This record gives sequence, structure tokens and C-alpha cells, in this order.
Amino acid sequence: MAPFVVRRLAGMIAVLFAISVIVFLIFNVIPNSDPAQRMAGKNATPQLIANITEEWGFDEPLPEQYLKTMELIFTGELVSYSSRLDVDEEIRKGLPATASLCIGAAVIWMFFGILFGYLSAMRAGRLTDRVLTALALAGISMPVFLLASVFLYYLTFRVELFPSSGYVPLTENPLDWAYHLILPWTTLAVLFVGFYSRVLRSNMLEAMNEDYVRTARAKGLDERRVMTRHVLRNSLIPIVTLFGLDFAAVIGGGAIITESIFSLGGVGQYAADSISNLDLPPIMAVTLFGAFFVVLFNTVVDIVYAYLDPRIRLEGGRQ
Amino acid sequence: MSKQPADGPKTSGISTESARRPALLEVRGLRVEFATEGGAVQAVDGVSFELGAGEVLAIVGESGSGKSVTAQTILGLTRSHNATIEGSVRLRGQELVDASEAELQKVRGGEVAMVFQDPMTSLNPVYRVGHQIVEAIRAHRRMSDAEARALAIEMLGAVEIPDSERRVDNYPHEFSGGMRQRAMIAMALALEPTVLIADEPTTALDVTIQAQILALLARLNRERNLATILITHDLGVVAEVADRILVMHEGRIVERGSLDEIFYAPKDSYTRRLLGAVVRLDQPPPPKPTSTTGDGPIPSNISTESARRPALLEVRGLVKRFPVRGGLFQRTRGETTAVDEVSLTVARGETLGLVGESGSGKSTLCRAILGLIEPDSGSIRFEGREIAGLPQRRMRPIRGDIQMVFQDPYSSLNPRKRVGQIVGASLRSQDSLADGPKTSGIPTVSARRREGEAPRRQVGELLERVGLSAAHYDRYPHELSGGQRQRVGIARALAVEPRLIVADEPVSALDVTIRAQILDLLAELQDDFDLSYVFVAHDIGVVRHVSDRIAVMHEGKIVEEGPTGGVCERPSHPYTRSLLDAVPIPDPREARARRAIRS
Repeated sequence: MAPFVVRRLAGMIAVLFAISVIVFLIFNVIPNSDPAQRMAGKNATPQLIANITEEWGFDEPLPEQYLKTMELIFTGELVSYSSRLDVDEEIRKGLPATASLCIGAAVIWMFFGILFGYLSAMRAGRLTDRVLTALALAGISMPVFLLASVFLYYLTFRVELFPSSGYVPLTENPLDWAYHLILPWTTLAVLFVGFYSRVLRSNMLEAMNEDYVRTARAKGLDERRVMTRHVLRNSLIPIVTLFGLDFAAVIGGGAIITESIFSLGGVGQYAADSISNLDLPPIMAVTLFGAFFVVLFNTVVDIVYAYLDPRIRLEGGRQ
Repeated sequence: MSKQPADGPKTSGISTESARRPALLEVRGLRVEFATEGGAVQAVDGVSFELGAGEVLAIVGESGSGKSVTAQTILGLTRSHNATIEGSVRLRGQELVDASEAELQKVRGGEVAMVFQDPMTSLNPVYRVGHQIVEAIRAHRRMSDAEARALAIEMLGAVEIPDSERRVDNYPHEFSGGMRQRAMIAMALALEPTVLIADEPTTALDVTIQAQILALLARLNRERNLATILITHDLGVVAEVADRILVMHEGRIVERGSLDEIFYAPKDSYTRRLLGAVVRLDQPPPPKPTSTTGDGPIPSNISTESARRPALLEVRGLVKRFPVRGGLFQRTRGETTAVDEVSLTVARGETLGLVGESGSGKSTLCRAILGLIEPDSGSIRFEGREIAGLPQRRMRPIRGDIQMVFQDPYSSLNPRKRVGQIVGASLRSQDSLADGPKTSGIPTVSARRREGEAPRRQVGELLERVGLSAAHYDRYPHELSGGQRQRVGIARALAVEPRLIVADEPVSALDVTIRAQILDLLAELQDDFDLSYVFVAHDIGVVRHVSDRIAVMHEGKIVEEGPTGGVCERPSHPYTRSLLDAVPIPDPREARARRAIRS
């Protein structure tokens, strides 16, 4: 197991390096115009452009430019030239809100996704399954902005049940923190609940026909144990992959719409604001930030996967 | 539930036999019906039998005969919302058909244990073998984890798994097929059941492993006085271990009796057909259809005849190694030699039988001959041309001359394509090569194609040639039986007018009666099209039936090669002898004689 983990971690570092090069190329090299000018914003003075050129090394060869860019990003010296704000600082400020949103939503979507998928599979073809299927499809089809608007209109405006926006840090007031996040959590989770329950349902229906499930029954296990320990356990393996990627995407700034509508001030909202202002340095940083999480969770998924399915560890190994 | 439909044809002997032994398990008028989209399917139709302590009862039949459904219904494993189960199953007087799930759970694994066909898929891949045995033990007995584990280790030892203390913590994929089946048996026997139901327990295993598992089952049956229901399609296995036989066909018992009654005085026509279809290793094969049109070669002069014929395929000193990787950076740590200095020749119109067990390198050798993998060294000459290591572009025209028929007709045909499209695609791919340097083929089909004949006609002709009809053109593979699918596979191979067909276990997934038909078809086609075959199989009986010469492969090497009769009757290599010795003989008297000699 240990060599497997080390190998995966080494692979992760290589992928991250490749991503940083690609990001550098996309932002600084490929657009055929002066990157300093684009970075400086619309009303830049020639002095600012000259400073940026100097600071980022845009008049130097590409490898130098790459190193300087990475240095700026990783030492936290990156600033937005239009807002004059420190980019790392902004991301760091947004992180607790984003993490709160994503972890909470992930708990909800995993819990209900697995619950509904399990119930659906157990009662396949019957009323419970049909109702859950309809709900899942509705959840998958519902655009996040619509769902959020509906929640806001009915639950904060018509009936003042929940606060409409804002983020209260967990350390300040845990109850208020959860209270402010219930709607965003639900909004973000609905799509995934629908999707995960469908995937789990079909995985379980497939697993129920496996020979080892018949073996489990034939050795006299009770039905609940057969379903949980043999059917559900094996069906959850592909869910882990999905979860790793989805969770990485939302925590890396992918929950742009949810964060913006509920004004949570997280990383996603920062990304959205930067994009609408065409503010390049933050976009670049958020892109790398997101990529980092996707790669990190991919690696975590690989390692967890090897733990869940012992056959994986052999991959490329002994014959 | 108490409804007792008329029993199948009653034969004598049952009443006297049941009077002799107190019945442990009593099945009366069992009927199982499944509601499917295509209507109701009567899988089991009034089956009755009894099983006494320490008795081995074989249920014999082909796929779809209802033998597995019968066995699974005994334990209530076929219960579902679309199944209707009638009749009675009594275990020591306890009715199981309408027993509650809780009652059944006590019986399953505790009183009646089951071993299934495919040891590869019957164990859960994510749990350690020991854990799965412990799980079974603890479902029935109040026992600590440590005690259950000790019992699991003891049981693994009892089924002759070496180093069971350590092996208990392996995952199923770290076990070989034979070991997995032993582990399944250990799991089944850990709770000392009184009845063991073994559903095709050795079908997925190599013959030498099969012999070991059968010996193990026989020993456990003796030592523990275990009543056994053995479900199988293999009459050789039956002759080795069974006391009594039930023959099932289309959900009914068509004949029942003692081993000798069924084998030497079968009354039912289906039983006779089943026995007649068995390929006997210990008897010379019937004359091949080839001889009816040719000059009638008798087995003794085949070798001299094939020596006279020009060689179509010549393999010399072929070596294929695979790297074994490991460690932190997956560096190559060593090599396994899958094919080790193999040389063989196939003459025109000849069949070379390639026999070996799983892992012997047969498949790697076939893939090298087909140009699918590049050998590390050695030469492969086809019609005198060197094809080993030929670049893809230059290999393409030769591809049409060497075709393959695959083992599993269920998974080797694209389920979303119609039969006509599957066979027609081969015709078209051959068209695209028409301008290539095609060696002189049989002019029939390609000549007609150039005249602009509709592919539908050609496909229809091909389908008729392999014993299907043009009406099969629009069918999908799932609408066909296993035998019909294999015919489609053969038509697909024939479509490009090959000179050589590599048939990789072409009949091992088929029922015995179908098997004989496909073997006859292959022989007929060989005659008509002057085909050569490399016939790969693990079953030396089948190989003997069809081959002019036999090559025995073991651990990457060809350990023995020669004319069929010579290899089978006077094997020179010990491995060939052990292979021949392990083949169960479908003849109870000989099986008994052989057992007597062994002990």
C-alpha cells in the first residue's frame, strides 16, 4: 500500500506542475497581446504597465516569466491592479465561507444521495422508487439559479423563515452559521442528491445480480447484512470517485452561482466578481487554486479507492 | 403450496431406495415459474426426488434444463416477486417452500450449504477470504471473532490450502481459481452442514484442478457422511462421484436411476442423446467427415499425409515475454516468459490441436500468430512469408487469411448490432483490402462480390453455410442460443475467406449436444474450404475428436507434439500423462476401475 501512495503523490506533483505551465501559457503567452496591458485594466497609466512588465518579467524569456509568475503566486505577493487588493488575502478570506458551504452541502448530498439511492434500489419498480426517481430527475434538471431564487422568494421574502444572505463565521456563532447556510447548502446539494441517488441505484441493482451476493445469501446472512455489507459496500466504490471530483470542483471555487446569489463572500464569488471585471491576476490564482483541489482530491480518491477495492493496488504490479 | 402435480416419468427403484435410507431431503412436485416480459417461463415443472444421508445425487442436464433453479429453490434463493414456487421441499420434515426468511437463514449455510460454479465471481472481491468465512460462521454460531477465525484457518487447511494461517488474510484475487473453489467449499463446510449442494463446482476449472476438487468432495462426503447434490452437465464428473442420477430436460426429470442404470441402460431418448453427444477421450474418435470425400485417411497415416502437404503456418522458436513490474516507480523487476521457444507447423487442410491449462501460454501464442502482439524473438511464416514483427500496414492484407473464432459466443458479438451487420462488416472490411496484395484466396465469394452482388445475399449464403438461415440476418445476438451465436462467430470468420482459423476454446461454453454439432460444422467447413485450424482447448477429449495432430503446452513450452492417436494413447511426457489421467471418464465402470488402481 505504501508504494502505491507514494507513487500517487509523486504523480500528483507532476500533474500540478503541468497545470501551472498550462495556466501560465493560457494567461500570459497565448493571447497575442501585451500581458501587462491586459493585467493593468482599462484605465492603466503607462507607468503601471511598465511596473507590471518589470515585476512579472514580461520582457524576459518565457522560462524566466514562468518562474516570476509562480513566485508571485506562491509567495502571496499577487495583487489585483484594478482593486489594489492582495489576491492571496482575498482567497484566504473567502475560504472559510466556501469550505463551510461545500462541506455542509457535501454531507447533505452524500447522506440523502445514498439514502435515496438505497431505498430506490431496494424498492426498484415500486411506488417509492418511482417517486424518488421523479424527484431525482427534477433535482438534476433544476438549474441552481432557479432553485435559489425560488428558495429566496418563498422562504426569505414571503415567509421570513431564513436570512436571505450573508455568512456568519462558525467561530462567532455556530447556530447562526448553520442558520445562514441552510438554504445555500440545500441549493447546492439538490443536484448532487438527485445524481448520486440515480448512480447508486443502478450500481446496486447491478450488484444485486452478482454471484457473491448469491453466495452471501446462501451462507445464511440476513437480508439487511447482505444488502449493506455486500451490495451497498461494493456499489459505493464508484460513488467515491464521483464525490472526490465533485467536492474538489465546488471547494475549488465551482459553487459560483450559489455563493453569488446568497452573497456568501467565498472563493467562488470572488472568482465570479473577478471574471466580470476581467481582473486577470485573481482569475489566474483562482484557476490554480481550483486545479489544486481537483488534483488533490483525485489523488485522495485514488488512495481511498485502493483501500476500498484491494484489486486496484495490484494495478501495474505483480501479475 | 401443497398442490402436487403429477410427477415426471416414474422409474422403478425410487420407492425401494427411499425405504432403504431415511430421506434427509424430500422434494415433491416442485414447480417454479418466472414471470418475464415475454410471458411465463416454467423453469421447473414438477420435480420430485429424495436424498439420503451420505448419498451423492447428480442432477444432469443442459443449460436451461432447470437444474440450477431446482437447487437454488431448495434454499429459497429463487424467491422474488416475479417467481411462483409450488410444491414441497422438506428437510428432516421441515417444510422450506413456505418457510419464513428467518427460518431459511438458519438452514442456509447451517444445514444446507451451497458451492457455486464460478469461483472467480462467487467471492466478494473487496473482503479477505478469511473474513468471508468468518462472516458465514458468525451468522450461525455465537462465537468470538478469534474463534471463528481459528475455525476458518482450520477449514482452509482441511480443504488442502497450503499455509492457511497466512492465506486466510488474502483477498480472493490473490487466490487461483482452484484455491477459490476450495475456499468456497471450506466456507460451505465450516458449519458442518448435512447437505451440500454443489452447482457445477468444477466447470470453470482446469481438468487437473477439477480432479483434485472432485477427490476433495469425495473425501469430505465419506468422512462427514455429507449428503450431496451435484449439479453438472459433465457426465464424466458424474461417473466419477455420483451414486444416483436425475436427468433433467426442460424443467422435468426425464429419467432417474443408479449410475449403471443411466449409463448402460438409458431408457429415455433424451438421456441417450446426452450420452451419445459425449466426446470420449478413451475411445478413438469417429471418422472425420473429411474422409467421406477424400481418400479416407485412417488415423495411422495422418502424420505421413500431413508431412506430405505443404506447410501453411510455420512457427519457429517463438518467444514472448511480459515484464513484471513492481516497487515505487513500477520498474521492470523481471520477466515472465509466456511463450518459450515454441515451434509448430500447420499444414494445409490440417487441424492442430493445442492443449493446455489456463496460464500455459496458449492464448499468447494464438495472439502472436494472429499478429495481435509482437513476439520477442522467433519466426512465424505464413505461406512462406515472414509475418512476425510485420508493421500493421503490411499485416493488414494477411489479417484476412488468418481468422479467429472466440470462446464465449455471448460476449464476443456486439449486442447492439444485427447478425447481418456483424457478418457483413467482415465482408466490407475485406472489400477495402481488395486492392491490397491479397494472396490467392478461394475465388468463390470474392469473385461474386466483384460482380456487384448485394451484401445481403452474400451474408445470407454465409449464414446458410454455417447452418443458420437468411432469416437470421435481422436478429440480434441475444435472440439466438449459444450454439447459434457460435455459428455467427464462425460465419464472421469465414466471411473474409481465411486460410487458417484459430479457434480459441470454441465449444467450451456450449452444451454437450450443441458442442457436437459445432465440431461437425467445423469439420465440414474444413473440407469444403480447405481450411486449416489451430484448435485450442483445455479439454483433451474435444481436441482428440477434431485434431490430426496434438501439441501439449505447459508453462509456455510445447512439451509434447505428435499425431493425435499417439499422444493420447502413448503419451511420453509426464505432464501429458497427468492431463490425460485427470480427465473424468464418462463410464462408471472404468471410473471405478481407475479409482481402484489409484488407491
